[in-house]
Amino acid sequence: MSRRLGESFWGDLGDLLGAVRRAMGVTLVNFIRKPVTLHYPEVKRVYPDRFRGVLALTYDKETGEENCIGCRLCEYICPPQVIKVEMLKAEKRNFAKVFTLELYACEFCELCVQVCPTDAIIMMKSFDMSTSDRRELLLDKDRLHQIGLQFEPSWATGNLLRDMQTPPKAPKAAAAEPAAKAAGPGPKPGGAAE
Amino acid sequence: MLSAIYFFTVGFIVLNAIIGMVTYVTLLERKFAARMQSRIGPYRVGPHGLLQPIADALKLMMKEDIVPRLADRHVYNLAPIVFLVPCMLIFATLPFAPGLGVADLNIGILFFLAVSAMEIVGLFMGGWGSNNKYALLSVMRAVNQIISYDLPFIFAAMVPVLLAGSLKLSDIAAAQPDVLHWFIFYPVIGQLAFIAYIVAMLAAENRVPFDILEAESELIAGFRVEYSGMKFALIQLGEYAHVIATSFLGALLFLGAWGGPGPAWLGPLWFLLKAMCVFLLVTWIRWSFVRIRVDQILAISWKLLLPATLILLMATAVVAAWPRGAPVV
Repeated sequence: MSRRLGESFWGDLGDLLGAVRRAMGVTLVNFIRKPVTLHYPEVKRVYPDRFRGVLALTYDKETGEENCIGCRLCEYICPPQVIKVEMLKAEKRNFAKVFTLELYACEFCELCVQVCPTDAIIMMKSFDMSTSDRRELLLDKDRLHQIGLQFEPSWATGNLLRDMQTPPKAPKAAAAEPAAKAAGPGPKPGGAAE
Repeated sequence: MLSAIYFFTVGFIVLNAIIGMVTYVTLLERKFAARMQSRIGPYRVGPHGLLQPIADALKLMMKEDIVPRLADRHVYNLAPIVFLVPCMLIFATLPFAPGLGVADLNIGILFFLAVSAMEIVGLFMGGWGSNNKYALLSVMRAVNQIISYDLPFIFAAMVPVLLAGSLKLSDIAAAQPDVLHWFIFYPVIGQLAFIAYIVAMLAAENRVPFDILEAESELIAGFRVEYSGMKFALIQLGEYAHVIATSFLGALLFLGAWGGPGPAWLGPLWFLLKAMCVFLLVTWIRWSFVRIRVDQILAISWKLLLPATLILLMATAVVAAWPRGAPVV
């Protein structure tokens, strides 16, 4: 704007009226729009698939056994060191004798889920673990299994996450076909003829 | 004796109706404001938050009443009452339907404007008695602002008075028998006067964007900063009562008071509806604008609004006094 404030009375008045119209228009549009607020405990927002919520331990779907083999990978990788695992040696496979998770110090980085070789520890689509007593957030093995049954699990598990990060297995065979398809309608007319 | 009983009864009813209405207007404003910010507003107390004002009032009653140690106790304690009384008293002259009102004075609008300007005394007592620098700064600004804006406010309110030819509020209402004769639809003059009325009303009520006396970022809560509990509630009640009364006056002066379709007993409801429309317009403005500076507020009053309303008033006088040839809408 080249005109300075105070130079022209009618110009200033026009600016003022325009500002008034715009400001009141914004609030009017908001007034007509549906409120974004949800009544939280009754209505829950749809959480995204990769939601990072409360951690839980899982059971094997078929055999009903605990998935955790007590390998302590999650304990090693945990940045705030809130996971403590003790292994229980057995004949066929190992189990976790003790598995504690201090949820009050957890930073929900999902690293434990990423390293878990047996998809034993996962995250849930829930965050309402609020309590008046901090000790209730010191989760032991039984509690973690219970949470796993209580809430809806997130998409991410250790194996799925690692699959996403591994480089493509056979770059020649897998990558050539989509590349040829993509190049077909492109600027190279000769590429599609093969 | 009989008339004394009549006045007492009507006054009692009107006073209680005002207090009930004012508490619920706070809910209306909060709901309205919430929708303007894409929120829902009070919801939990009662269905859709309908009992929220009662919960608020109970909370304020149960709060501790703190008097600052260095406060001027008498002035401090008296201020909420001195503030509240004029705010309630201005309802006395408002007729809510033909013949329904506490006292329909011959000079009703003069009484209204005079008494409504008296709230500044209570305001200043509160700010001075609190012995708090923020409260004192706040009331200094308030005095500055209210004195500046009372004149344009009165001039804007005088336009319908001139058009109707009477200072009596029921006469002004009777001069607007149907929608086409509402003074807001009087060509040019009506609209300009209504805009001037709303702007001056915002400033006289210390509402955003003229709320420099309780500018939160500078003065915390302004003159109310030392008040708590029931005294705080009285001040809030007075402020809202004043806004409501001015909304009613605006509806009466420009929007045809109790005129509307339907039988005559619907009149007070139409009046209430129109007053609420004015109130919601003020609320809409409140949630749309930012606060302006002290010097800008004074400049708007003395350099723009006062000359404009003065010219408008003179133009209205010419139109109203034009022999025979006055434009009829």
